[in-house]
Order: sequence, then C-alpha cells, then structure tokens
Amino acid sequence: MSDQILKPDLEFTKEIIAAGGESLKKCYQCSTCTVVCDVTPDRKPFPRKEMLYAQWGLKDKLLASPDVWLCHQCSDCTAHCPRGAKPGEVLGAVRKMTIQEFSSPSFMGKMVNDSKFLLLLFAIPTIIFLFELFIQGHLTNGIPRIPNGQLMSYSLMFPPTLYIDTVFVPVAFFAAFMFFKGIKNYWAAMSANYPAPPRKDVITPLAETVREILTHSVFEKCGVSKDRSIAHKILFYSFIGLAITTTLAASYIYVFDYNGPYPQTNIVKWIGNVSGVAMLIGITMIVMNRIKNKEKVGAGSYFDWFFIVVVYGVGLTGMLAQILRLANIPVLGYPMYFAHLVFVFVLFAYAPYSKMAHMVYRTTAMVFAKYSKRS
Amino acid sequence: MQSSDKPSRILVIGGGFSGLTTAVDAAESGAEVIIVEKNPHLGGRVAQLNKYFPKMCPPVCGLEINFRRIKTNPGVQFHTLSEVTSVSGGPGNYDVAIQKHPRYVNDKCTACNACAEACPATRANDFNFGMDKTKAAYLPFNQAFPQQYVIDAKACKKDCGTPCKEACKYDAIDLEMKAETVNVKVDSIVVATGWNPYDADRIETLGSGKVPNTISNMEMERLAAPNGPTGGAINRPSDGKPVQKIAFVQCAGSRDENHLAFCSYICCMASLKQTLYIREQNPDAEVSIFYIDMRTPGRYEKFLNQVQADAKVSFIKGKVAKIEKVKNGDVTVTAEDMLTGDKVEKTFDMVVLATGMEPAGALKQLPGVSYIEGFAAPGAGIFPTGCSRNPMDVSKSAQDATSAALKAIHAGKGR
Repeated sequence: MSDQILKPDLEFTKEIIAAGGESLKKCYQCSTCTVVCDVTPDRKPFPRKEMLYAQWGLKDKLLASPDVWLCHQCSDCTAHCPRGAKPGEVLGAVRKMTIQEFSSPSFMGKMVNDSKFLLLLFAIPTIIFLFELFIQGHLTNGIPRIPNGQLMSYSLMFPPTLYIDTVFVPVAFFAAFMFFKGIKNYWAAMSANYPAPPRKDVITPLAETVREILTHSVFEKCGVSKDRSIAHKILFYSFIGLAITTTLAASYIYVFDYNGPYPQTNIVKWIGNVSGVAMLIGITMIVMNRIKNKEKVGAGSYFDWFFIVVVYGVGLTGMLAQILRLANIPVLGYPMYFAHLVFVFVLFAYAPYSKMAHMVYRTTAMVFAKYSKRS
Repeated sequence: MQSSDKPSRILVIGGGFSGLTTAVDAAESGAEVIIVEKNPHLGGRVAQLNKYFPKMCPPVCGLEINFRRIKTNPGVQFHTLSEVTSVSGGPGNYDVAIQKHPRYVNDKCTACNACAEACPATRANDFNFGMDKTKAAYLPFNQAFPQQYVIDAKACKKDCGTPCKEACKYDAIDLEMKAETVNVKVDSIVVATGWNPYDADRIETLGSGKVPNTISNMEMERLAAPNGPTGGAINRPSDGKPVQKIAFVQCAGSRDENHLAFCSYICCMASLKQTLYIREQNPDAEVSIFYIDMRTPGRYEKFLNQVQADAKVSFIKGKVAKIEKVKNGDVTVTAEDMLTGDKVEKTFDMVVLATGMEPAGALKQLPGVSYIEGFAAPGAGIFPTGCSRNPMDVSKSAQDATSAALKAIHAGKGR
C-alpha cells in the first residue's frame, strides 16, 4: 500500500454523490459500520474502506471489486452510523455505477438511469407494437374480431410466433449478449485488482453461490431490514416461476404445436398464475418495506424505483389482461395486453442497464469472491 | 467607574466544582452568593473522581480548599437537597423560589455514625453508582461537606427512622422535618448544573448496558477510589476477580448523532488516566484502548505519549460496535482494526465504556433558562458555566467559573 501513489479522482466522488451517495462526506471513519455488518467477511471488511475510497474517488478500488456486491444493503450500517453517512445508500450508488461502468453501449446505461429518457424508453416498444398492429390492419380496422364460437384470444391481436417472438427473441439475445459483455469486462477488471487467484476451479464457487442465492442465506443475516429478505425471496421465486411458465408455453407452441389460450386448469396456467400473484405480493412487500424503513435506511433512488415500477407494471398488466380476457371484455383487454407487452419489453430489453442487472453482477461478484478466496 | 455600594447578589445553581469556584471567587470579591445544590453534599462529579489528570492527584484536596473558603466566608450561603422551582423578574431583579427537601438530620449532627449503625434499612449507594449499599441513614461519602448525615425517606419506610432517632445522642434526627420554600432576590444567576454520564443502556451497539462486567468510566473512578466500593481495588463487579485484561471503549455515546452529537472532551484523557490506575495497581495487567481518534488537546499530548510508551497498553484504531458476554463473566468486544483493515474480536475481564457527558439540561431544564441541545445558553443576567454550558475538564471548568463570577458581579454592579 505505502509504495503506491494514490490518485484521488474528485469527479468520481461527485458522481457517486449525484448517484445517490449524497451523505458520503459525512463519514469520519469510525468503522461502526463494518462491525455491525453481519454479511461482511472479517478480513478486509466493508463498508468502512469503501466509504474512504468513495471520499477519495478511488474508482478502480470501488468498481473493480466484488465487495460492493457482497453488501446486500441490510442497512444495519446506515441505522447505526453515528454521522448519518448512510454507507448502505453509498454502496447502492456505487453498485449502480458498476452496472453503468461495465455495461455497453454506455449511452443505454445513461438513458435507463435518467428520468428525462423515461418516455423515450417506453415509446420504443410502444412504436414497435403499434407498427405490428398497423401491418396487421388492426389500427385501421379496430380491435381484432373474435370469430364466432371462439373465445377471446390475444393471439388474434399478436400471433405469437410471428409478432411476439420476432420481437422478444432478439430482445432476449440482445440482453444476454450485453450481460455477457458486461460481466466479462467486470471479471477482467476484478482479476486485474486481485491477480492470480490461488483457486482454478470456478464450478465450486459457482455452485456455492447458486446455493446461497436460492436459499437467500446471506440476505437472511440482515438485521434492521430483515423483512426485505422474505420479500425478495418471493419476488425471486416468482421470476423463476415465470421463466418456467415461458419455457413451457414455448414448448407447447414449438414442440407440441399447441396454441393458447390454455384452459385455466392447465399446468402452465397454474405455475403462471401462482408466480404472477407472488410477483405482485413480493414487489408490494418490497415497496412497503422501503416506506417503513425510509427513516432508517433511505427511500432509494430513481434507479431503484424505475425497476420497482416496471416489475409492478409487468405483474399488474399481466394479471389484468388475463382477467379481462376471461371476463370477455375485449375493449379493455386488448389495450391491457398491449401495455403488458410494452412493460415486458422494458423489463428485458433494458435489463443489462437497470436494477435487474444486479442479479448478474451480484452473482458474478459472489462467484469471484469465492474464486479469489475473498469470502 | 460606575458602581453602586450594594454588593452583587448572585444565585449559583449547582454546587459542583464550577459552582463552588464561581461562588468563592465572587464572594471573595465582595458579592453575596447563594448556592443551590440538589444533592445532600457539595462537590458534584469531582467528588466522585479518584484522581485528576494529568497530575494524578486526588481531587478532594482541591475541593477541601473550596469548602474551607465557603465555611469562612459569610458572603456564601448554600442550600443542599434543594432545587430552583421558579424564576421571575430580570437582570438585577430576579425573584427565585428554592425548594428545600428535608434532610431529617439537623445541624446538631456530629457525623458519629450511630444512626447508620442503628438503621435497619439499606439503599443503593448512588454516590458509587449503585455498586454497593449504604444504610438509609448515611453520610454520602467520608469527606462529604457538610459533614452531616441524611436519611433517605424513600428507603426508610414507616417507623424505620425510629431506631436512628433513639441512637442519636445529640438530638440531631428530626423525622418531622418538612419541605420548605425559600424565596430570594438576586441580580444574576449562574447555571452550573453540570453533567450526567451518558446512559449506556441507550447504546444498542455496546450491549445496551446488559453485558456484565461492562462499566462506565465514572464507575471506574469509584472502583479505583480509596473511598469506593472496593476500597480502591480494581476488581470486576460480577465475581470480584482482580482485573488483568481490560478494554476501554472510546466514544461510548459521544460524537454520535444517535446519542450525543458532540465530543465530550474528557473521555480520552479519562481513559488514559484510568489506564494508569490499572497499570500502577497491577504490573501484569494488559490494557487495550479502542478509539476513533485519541483526542488529547494541547499539552495533554504529553500524557498520551507517556501512556503510549507502556508496552502493556495497546491502542486499536476502530470503534467498538459489538459487546457480548462470554463464559466466566468475560466480555468480548468487536471492532475493525483500521490499521490492519481486519475485524478483531477480543476477550477481556472487564470493559470500560468511556461514556460521554450529557449536560444536565438534556434531562431536566431550569425555569427561566434557555437551552440549546441540552446545553444552557447565556442570557441577560444568566451565566451558564462549566459542563452545563459545554463539555470541559476540571481545570477548564475552574477558568470558566472565574469568568462566570466576573460576569455575574458585573451584571449586579450595572443595576
């Protein structure tokens, strides 16, 4: 350490402050935070050192480190901080900046995190789906007519193979590729900071990480905001349930040539509906916890709320579209389905830049920490 | 020089070191001074100290000089067991009501201890922070001024006072004594109500006061004092084991917006001083001091250097934020050693919390006095001094008290 010349980057400090770490300069390095933290390793614990790095603008030490992601923002540190420096919020801001730093193209990262571009982000899928309606003639002829003797069906509005998958398959590939690029950069940057890890095997750390994520075993150590772990777990499993639903539905269409709408008794509807309800319950709990803990841990930033609103949008429009279809109210059902598609597009297409990316970066950081014997 | 022949009349609220100093300085300059003290004795927190820093001399000698100056000066009156209940009027013309609580012992008392021997009831000894007990008829401490016993009516129910009264050869016990109100007129008021040790029960990160063998720095003063509960032996409370390994936890409540937002000024020096108590008593004892910054302002730096030179004393930069009880009454503390950057967990025989100074005004405020965050604020004719106004040590309190005396005299002369 002592033979290194540190280069403080005060611009970077200002960026963290702008990203939601307003309080970072209040820190006077007492290290109450690292002691009250139940998820930090004992060796080189966080977040005290991160607070110092943030004050000095030591960008590489902060962004190319797994530690900011080992933090689960329990906010015990923030609650007990003697100065109101809110280490939990500061690390949250740094995590957001990590996503922006390593994701590409970088202008996408800026747009997703700036409320000025909110309308544009929603306008893109809206235009795409309006265009699809236009080429099918629905814009000029009105909502699709339901053939006699048939049930109301959203595939009449957007036939799945041609109009849904041609949009969402490329979106999924785009997101997956951007995620891959991002974590590749992130891993390389961390490796440069923690060179020559003594462990060659990545599979064991990966398996351990997956087990930790599935059980939420780290998250459950949180003190002040332990309710967050339950809420997050519900939301997390709802996403897994919805992924299973999507896979099943795709296999119905592509493997068994069996098109919807499926009867409510079908397994795909069961999994989908349970997951959809769980999603709404989970995200509602998350919002309630945030309101409840606002005083102690802060209310969160635009970055957090953008993601929360999108998840809400996906869940609500999805459930309502189904209910309206079953109630056979096409005049409301079709617009609702349209809105659902827009929200799903926003969720996935912008995932590499939104808070959704935390699942990929946190997993990468947790694997790297184990791989490099950090924790 | 504008001056009247009448002496300045000054009310000093609080008979601790600051109040006493103001009183004798003002009285010896010709003022008429009335001291109001809530305790049955004068001397305040300083009377509870074992030694002063940095000279390491016992405070009682300084107090005794002041007591003597009060005794021999007709310009000073004092009321113990008393409190100010109302203040009206203004500078040069304050009307103050003082309520005097009954002592149940009159001036005939010779401090012979016969009443205490006869007394059937006991009470927790607040002078020693409840670490031992006294009889319900008691002398607050051996050098208490006035040397006059007092009966704790709360601890002495029904006819518990009768054996005392019968045991007293001097007719000094008066169980019929009632509270009375004294009204006085003064020109100015000096607030010298001092401070209380911050209550560790409120500090969640330091075990909420529930971990055995975790004591406050003021309790440490009493443990080390020859007139304390152990006769000066630094033994831990749970089992009386002589302390071999001890930790000091600095900033226990101080510099913390959840507790006391300010630096209490004295705690670093107090812990260094108490380190010397232990090291003098036990050449094998090991001391660890956990700190954020060691604050030893001005020439006190030398005192820090002196303690740092002791190989048995280690300084760990990192605030303790976890205290847990372990087996056999030992205590574990956790901190980040910031110089190595690793979390450390260490076990000690006893832990001293360097609790901060909570100004008296944070708990109880005087009529007619304004406060800022618990600290008394100056006003026309109102002169706060000592720790009721700002955290300070004894020598600074002496200087501050002299300055308050001068301001108070001046306020009286201006009328």
